[in-house]
Amino acid sequence: MERLNPRIRVVWLFLAVFRAGIVGGFLVGAALVLSETGLWANSPDLLVPGAIGLAVTLGLVRVAVAWRRYAVWRFEVQDDGLYIERGVFTRIKTVVPYVRVQHVDSRRSPIERTTGLATVVVYTAGSRSADVAIPGLTPERAEQLREDLRRLAIESEGEDAV
Amino acid sequence: MNRLHPFSAAVYALRYGLLWLWVPFFLVTALAGAIEVVNIAWLPVAALLGFLSGAAYGIVYYYRFEYGITPDTFDVASGVIARRSREIPYRRIQNVDVRQGVLQRVLGLAVVTVETAGGGHSEAALQLVSKSEADRLQHQIRRRTAGVDADDPDRPTSEASEDSRPLDHEPLDKQSSRVDGTAEASPASETRSRREPTEPSRKRLFALDSRELLLYSLTTLRPAALAAVGFLFFFATDTVLDFLVTLSQPFGGPQDLQTGDTQSYGVLTVVSMVNGIVITYLVSVAYTFATYYDFRLGRVDEDFVYERGLLQRYSGSIPAEKVQSVTITDNPLQRLIDYAGLWVETAGYGPDSSGGSQSAVPMARAAHVHRFAENLTHVETPAFASPPPIARRRYLVRYSLIAAGVVAAALALAQVTPLERWYLAAVVFVAVPPAAHLRYVNLGYYVGEDHLVIRRGFWRRRTTVIPYFRIQTVSTRRSIFQRRLGIASLVVDTASSRTLFWDTPTIYDVDLEDARGAHRTGRKRLQSALRERARTDDASFSVDFT
Repeated sequence: MERLNPRIRVVWLFLAVFRAGIVGGFLVGAALVLSETGLWANSPDLLVPGAIGLAVTLGLVRVAVAWRRYAVWRFEVQDDGLYIERGVFTRIKTVVPYVRVQHVDSRRSPIERTTGLATVVVYTAGSRSADVAIPGLTPERAEQLREDLRRLAIESEGEDAV
Repeated sequence: MNRLHPFSAAVYALRYGLLWLWVPFFLVTALAGAIEVVNIAWLPVAALLGFLSGAAYGIVYYYRFEYGITPDTFDVASGVIARRSREIPYRRIQNVDVRQGVLQRVLGLAVVTVETAGGGHSEAALQLVSKSEADRLQHQIRRRTAGVDADDPDRPTSEASEDSRPLDHEPLDKQSSRVDGTAEASPASETRSRREPTEPSRKRLFALDSRELLLYSLTTLRPAALAAVGFLFFFATDTVLDFLVTLSQPFGGPQDLQTGDTQSYGVLTVVSMVNGIVITYLVSVAYTFATYYDFRLGRVDEDFVYERGLLQRYSGSIPAEKVQSVTITDNPLQRLIDYAGLWVETAGYGPDSSGGSQSAVPMARAAHVHRFAENLTHVETPAFASPPPIARRRYLVRYSLIAAGVVAAALALAQVTPLERWYLAAVVFVAVPPAAHLRYVNLGYYVGEDHLVIRRGFWRRRTTVIPYFRIQTVSTRRSIFQRRLGIASLVVDTASSRTLFWDTPTIYDVDLEDARGAHRTGRKRLQSALRERARTDDASFSVDFT
């Protein structure tokens, strides 16, 4: 079983903090608007501190989930398919048979480029096609994995013809 | 290369004319307010100019739209300014549909759509061609698609000729008496005699008789009907309200909407709700009746062909080789009278816009439908296994939580409205045990020799038969609660499950060991089934996934 590059935690933590910031900003902002402008005549005193507390709690949960996600994520290039294990709350174990691979992408978002990571996306004809993405790979590993998958996808068909 | 029917020129001219009319209309209106030179009085002239240029565009569009049948591909070239020429290889075509609206039927015209597995919409739409041309196209494409498969002796050839035998026994004697060979074969036989005398005749597999049609219409409730009724209400609110008030008066409703006491308003609400339900149901019945009127399913070579419709007529063909999975559906009412329906799923898109599912048998005796499904897929009669009883406990907890949510909502409502006795909402808890039990007893799965059979749902129970070689991916999912209870769900993805209403086939809440076993079996059998199929192919394994 192969694990992701530990640097992926940086990416996930950054995204967790970023998203928590947006949601928290909305929460606290709404609470401030309600209490300061008098839209809600006699709002409880705890409204703003409560909103801040909620935002911080949500942020902490997000951070914890992002951290935990790294410990759970695993994948393996097995002999007949790509095996993936992931999910903090709902644990998902997926097999993508090589015969079913339609095409393979490797992609790098700005934040992945700054941390020197890449994502490999494997497409099948199924409905959950976009679900099969392996993040947190070094660009070399991503390149290699993409090549391996391509080769295996072609070989699996050649083998069948015998 | 062929052109569309000349009548389409008029249709396109009108369509683009009406569309383009608005461009100068808005431009003049906006500019007249801002610039003095522009006068609002130009409006009629500008609109006319817009219409004329739109009409001209439509006519040019018609002249620039060409399609043709080549030995290997179906070609469509279109576009006035930006040209697009598209070649669709026959082996990639999922299904070919012919649609005829009411007016089009009067004029003898039709819309032909060609579906492939890729993209989010139809690959090619020919609007409009004459009905005879549409039939010719459907027939030609079908023949050529079959020809591609015949070139490399593809597996369904042997497989399908096997199942055409049992299927042939299938149409009961009453069906052969229903067959009206002359009426349906007239356009086809015309082309047949002209083009190739060797064209195999179509075999009647199923025809919906009037009794089945009525039962199907009466026992099926379509969510779309609710939307239609809502739409009507939105546009004729006043009339509908007056109507509802009038209807409620015999039961003690208010004189009009303004005058009335709590009781009469209550009566109005109840009576209107009953009316709403009845009207929605009637609309749904009428819709189903019109859609599936005169439904017929047949088989030509390796293709299933079907036609249906009272006002708008649909006909389509589904290559047997492209069938991904087969689903038997029934709802509680249909189970009560022992009837069921059969759906065939492909990776293409159907005219019902419900993904690639096509009704193969809208409604027939359950035993008949099961036999049909078994002949179609060669699946053995499944011996369903149930999830462990702990799953039922899980649903009990889940539904209790939902019920608690309802009570909490009633409580919250009581805080802001004069609603009293909110605790009466707790009556929903009565429904929890039966709901959990019903969900549980309707779950079932069967790991067969060549197929996986998954049954789920109470209101709309679906039994899906998935051949192992159609599996795309297999996933085992375990939520926190499932991990604690030692159970898991198995998600089996196929290329056909890209539907809006139908979830991906899932075996819910089975023992972890069973889930792992099914996961392993699915994975292994996919490989071995593909190898078997490749062997029978004489080493010419086709690369298509569908």
